[in-house]
Amino acid sequence: MDLPGPIHDFLLVFLGLGLILGGIGVVLLNNPIYSAFSLGLVLVSISLLYILSNSYFVAAAQLLIYVGAINVLIIFAVMFMNGSEYYKDFNLWTVGNGFTLLICTSIFGLLITTITDISWYGIIWTTRLNQIIEHDLISNSQQIGIHLSTDFFLPFEFISIILLAALIGAITVARQ
Amino acid sequence: MMLEHVLVLSAYLFFIGIYGLITSRNMVRALMCLELILNAVNINFVTFSDFVDSRQLKGNIFSIFVIAIAAAEAAIGPAIVSSIYRNRKSTRINQSNLLNK
Repeated sequence: MDLPGPIHDFLLVFLGLGLILGGIGVVLLNNPIYSAFSLGLVLVSISLLYILSNSYFVAAAQLLIYVGAINVLIIFAVMFMNGSEYYKDFNLWTVGNGFTLLICTSIFGLLITTITDISWYGIIWTTRLNQIIEHDLISNSQQIGIHLSTDFFLPFEFISIILLAALIGAITVARQ
Repeated sequence: MMLEHVLVLSAYLFFIGIYGLITSRNMVRALMCLELILNAVNINFVTFSDFVDSRQLKGNIFSIFVIAIAAAEAAIGPAIVSSIYRNRKSTRINQSNLLNK
């Protein structure tokens, strides 16, 4: 989206803050229903981040599928299986948690140094010079539809068969 | 600039997902952390598709495929967890040893 600079930066900081706090809340809150709502916050801020990076169709699909279907399903699962057992073992900090935290933060720091070391703009400019500069008037959603119906046609059909098989299998497993 | 910031955010989300997936004792919370990992992958796809390939948009199509696979996973996962809960009356990961005997 072509916003002026300070508004764009403010929105980016705002969404990043929501994403960081929501991610911490998913892992560290001790009631699972709160962490499910925190997951909803993360998914909504990711969808707004997609709108900021000009991908409106994926933003709409993220809102509809993740927030509308997956998050509601997870909240239903939490409410369906909510026992009193969740409150027994919070504050249970073992050695394995600290070890995992150490390994995750070390790999994360390594990845941050790698990301900041690579000169992304050289890569982006060399790939942009290779592309044919044609200013066509079709939008992003039309472009995605054309790709899905021409050269990604077979994976698209496979996705539909996988979804059908997964939903039938889920109903078969869940009903008794 | 925006590309590095979004990549760092995506890496943060990926590693907090892996941390929660390893250390959580509740199966539903493990499923939530799996969603976080898939979302981190999606953020990378969409950002690189916007910055590098803004004419063809193939990263967007891959992210739509990832979203569809995540929907299938989110249908299967709570079904298996509810089946385990019905047999064991518990959703803790370390008590699910149904294949043990």
